[in-house]
Amino acid sequence: MTYVIGANCVDVKDLTCVTECPVDCIFEGDRMLYIHPEQCVDCGACEPVCPVEAIYHVDDLPADWLWHLDAAAEATAGREEVEPVPDPPTVLALPARPANG
Amino acid sequence: MSQQVTPVSRVVIRFAGDSGDGMQLAGDRFTAQTALFGNDVSTFPDFPAEIRAPAGTLPGVSAFQVQFADHRVTTPGDAADVLVAMNPAALRVNLPELPRGAQIIVDADEFTPRNLVKAGYPAGVDPLTDDSLADYRLHAVPLTGLTVEALRAFELPRKDAERAKNMFALGLVSWLYHRPTEATVAYLREKFAARPHLAAANVAAFTAGWNFGETTESFAVSHEVPAAPRNPGRHRTITGNRALAYGLIAAADRAGLPLFLGSYPITPASDILHELSRHRQFGVTTFQAEDEIAGIGAALGAAFGGALGVTTTSGPGLALKAETIGLAVSLELPLVIVDVQRGGPSTGLPTKTEQADLLQALYGRNGESPVPVLAASSPGDCFDAAVEAVRIAVTYRTPVVLLSDGYLANGSEPWRVPELDELPTIDPAFATGPNAVDAAGAPCFQPYLRDPHTLARPWAVPGTPGLEHRVGGLEKADRTGEISYDAANHDLMVRTRRAKVDGIARDVPPLTVDDPDASAEVLVLGWGSTAGPIAAACAEVRAAGGSVARAHVRHLDPLPADLGTVLARYRRVLVPEMNLGQLARLLRARYLVDVESLTQVRGMPFKVAELRTAIEKVAADV
Amino acid sequence: MSESRLLTIAGSAADPPLSARDFRSDQEVRWCPGCGDYAILAAVQGFLPELGLRRENIVFVSGIGCSSRFPYYLDTYGMHSIHGRAPAIATGLAVSRPDLSVWVVTGDGDALSIGGNHLIHALRRNVNLKILLFNNRIYGLTKGQYSPTSETGKITKSTPAGSLDHPFNPVSLALGAEAGFVARTIDSDRKHLTSVLRAAAAHEGTALVEIYQNCNIFNDGAFEQLKTPGVRDDFVLRLEHGAPMRYGPDGARTVVRDPGGGLRPGGPDDVAVTHDAQTSDPVPAFALSRLPEAGGPTPIGVFRSVRRPAYDRLVVEQGERALAERGPGSVADLLGGDAWTVPEPQPRVGGGPA
Repeated sequence: MTYVIGANCVDVKDLTCVTECPVDCIFEGDRMLYIHPEQCVDCGACEPVCPVEAIYHVDDLPADWLWHLDAAAEATAGREEVEPVPDPPTVLALPARPANG
Repeated sequence: MSQQVTPVSRVVIRFAGDSGDGMQLAGDRFTAQTALFGNDVSTFPDFPAEIRAPAGTLPGVSAFQVQFADHRVTTPGDAADVLVAMNPAALRVNLPELPRGAQIIVDADEFTPRNLVKAGYPAGVDPLTDDSLADYRLHAVPLTGLTVEALRAFELPRKDAERAKNMFALGLVSWLYHRPTEATVAYLREKFAARPHLAAANVAAFTAGWNFGETTESFAVSHEVPAAPRNPGRHRTITGNRALAYGLIAAADRAGLPLFLGSYPITPASDILHELSRHRQFGVTTFQAEDEIAGIGAALGAAFGGALGVTTTSGPGLALKAETIGLAVSLELPLVIVDVQRGGPSTGLPTKTEQADLLQALYGRNGESPVPVLAASSPGDCFDAAVEAVRIAVTYRTPVVLLSDGYLANGSEPWRVPELDELPTIDPAFATGPNAVDAAGAPCFQPYLRDPHTLARPWAVPGTPGLEHRVGGLEKADRTGEISYDAANHDLMVRTRRAKVDGIARDVPPLTVDDPDASAEVLVLGWGSTAGPIAAACAEVRAAGGSVARAHVRHLDPLPADLGTVLARYRRVLVPEMNLGQLARLLRARYLVDVESLTQVRGMPFKVAELRTAIEKVAADV
Repeated sequence: MSESRLLTIAGSAADPPLSARDFRSDQEVRWCPGCGDYAILAAVQGFLPELGLRRENIVFVSGIGCSSRFPYYLDTYGMHSIHGRAPAIATGLAVSRPDLSVWVVTGDGDALSIGGNHLIHALRRNVNLKILLFNNRIYGLTKGQYSPTSETGKITKSTPAGSLDHPFNPVSLALGAEAGFVARTIDSDRKHLTSVLRAAAAHEGTALVEIYQNCNIFNDGAFEQLKTPGVRDDFVLRLEHGAPMRYGPDGARTVVRDPGGGLRPGGPDDVAVTHDAQTSDPVPAFALSRLPEAGGPTPIGVFRSVRRPAYDRLVVEQGERALAERGPGSVADLLGGDAWTVPEPQPRVGGGPA
């Protein structure tokens, strides 16, 4: 089980969740953040602090965001300590978020 | 010798001496001889709380009282016919209760000025010479000197020789009442098997005591007490604590369960721990815990693992175990809690008897926490009561409190050895597989799905595949056993736990009412160790032409189903208790019957005479 | 390991290997979001398959407190008991069922305050229990009072002017209570936590594992120094049996003997003391437990791992000896004892001694 960060994070990267995570399992890509599905302990600390409601428990993930679980797995595969990670192609392909005017 | 032999029907002897004088051993041996001879017998060891109070002082006096007769006896007797006093303190402590005309045998050698002062006699006063014992038949025998003299050939240190004076006294009293001696001789040889020299010395002291009686002019009369009629069968004498331990072993064997005792030493319950610890080959494990709470905790842990969990204690320990009993009520696991009651409150009277823990056993927990409560009524009955406690605990998956008391624990009586097939069937019926289907239709296990008849839940022990489940003290959801804070569920569970205990009454036989001519208007209702004194008192009332009915309650929760009907049949109901009226209060509340309470809390069983007087007073006033 | 308890418990070589998922129960986990207990639960669920045991042969027993909810979340047998009593209850279970793997989950209040007596006696007896002591230095379930491991001066709801009690050091306490296995680890360090669990499971007898656990509601950041990357290396000493005790970035700092008999931080060029967890003398482990008081780092890992016969095994052996010497007990013989058969009543007079 794990929490998953969805599309609302793209080009936002507030980072509050990173400081909140007690086990340091949130990795930073160029466009968004990724929760390591193997390291997440399901504590839910990240979910309420996200200002854009991007974080869901995998069981509650909106259907059109399910692919973000795979993206997170891909982005964090084989990594243990927190470090910058490249975004997977599926994330890179997302349209740019319109700048807030 | 021109000594005269007269038959008597019943005799009470009280052996009293310093704690170190071996009076309990002398009493035990006299009892064994007497039971073997065929008299009915009842005993009451009465010892101080101090292990060794200063020698010769009043608090250090230890006594052993035995009544034996050519008929059924149910008490150790109100007052002694013979007092054996090994020192001035023993005489002084026991004289007030001794009826005029009784025989007193004292060790004259111990009546030194120094010992007299230690016993609290004013300087210069010696009861042996000042005529204050004129109303008694006094035999001042130099027991110590005679014993040392008799053992001269053994060349023992004087102290060791003196120590055998209890056997000299036993020999003398054995002669006085024509007791068979073979058993005691055999006992001494076995006890001192490793030191044959000491065995021979003790036998010599015992024999010298007997011979002294035969040859001295001091005792003009000796007595025969013919054997009592008793049902044929194998018998032995047994104390309550030993009978209780045996009952637990027999019941565990019957159920096919290993017996696990978690216990912390406490007077007067420790002998159950001692006894059980000797029987490892029966699959018995005894665990002397760090405290009372750990004792019951370990027993409950063992019960979770599929053992017959037992804990033994006395009143203060029961108080400490209360929270864990509550947990056992929530877990609905079999557990037997034995409370050998003693005088309270607090540390109270550790070596004295009382039955004032009834309300604690019934109600001494937080929340609605129903626990079946039973009480044994005689030393031998401790066996049957223990078997019944185990039967209820295992059948209904519930903690059970079994009440004994200090009088039953240490008192002894002849006990007919039961045949094993007389014992009830006890079936643990462990859960072995799923008992329900889940929402998806797959088989599943519901740890709180109840047997519709007993309302007992399944006992699924670790190691059983597929039945992994979690239990705990948080309120359980009906059937699934999950944590539930739901109001309706809590209401259901509280009422169901109560109903489960109430349902045990279906297995409880109707009350046996002893009402020989069916015309009595007074019922004496008792529970626990008052059975003996009440039976004796009722027998005396009837012998004097009076009419009285008698019944005794073993199951205190649930009470027998017909108790209300029985109570309603009598115009007056008298409830004697060694507390301030705890059962009486329950009966009044439950049945709206105006029962009369007769209470005493003197650390001693009721005297037959005082019970008889009370019964006759009520009967006269009907 | 070859004689370890693991091998004596019902084997399961033929069974398919289990995964962490197999140890998850269907109960919703209800700790506060961010609680260190989640990390410990995940680590334990991840470790349990390593035991190679079937789920039905594992039992978790807990007391009362936040951590004591633990058994509900594991699909093994379990008991959530009463405050402080889990070691006593687990002792009865482990002694009567030596075939089981029995674990105790407890907290600093549960184990060291109300249950202190049971903890020390379990340790001295060396019952085959694995005790996981979650130490967050605060009472969480009762909403934030100081605990027996809170630092002196702790401002809490019940101590608005600061607590006056001197705290327990659980490792020191366990060593004083004759514990054969004592270790410490940190909730968020899954790898280390798992390695300590592995060592504890392999130990025959009582193993005490103190787990520093963050309560992010009532005592947030209590162990921050020991967790923060870039900082923690200066404050944590990772114990390894047989290795010199060095810490700091690149192991530049040392632990050396203090002339007073204990241990203290040394200079980079000093010869570091070698950690010996297996020496029978408890003094070195005790000195290690006091290292932070001497201005040194906080040791984590196995302080002491010494073999001593487990209580439950001794109980079994004693029972087997009794059985061998006396044969299986016969209840009929026991009850019969020195019984006699009552003769038909007839006048009878005793005779004198032969």
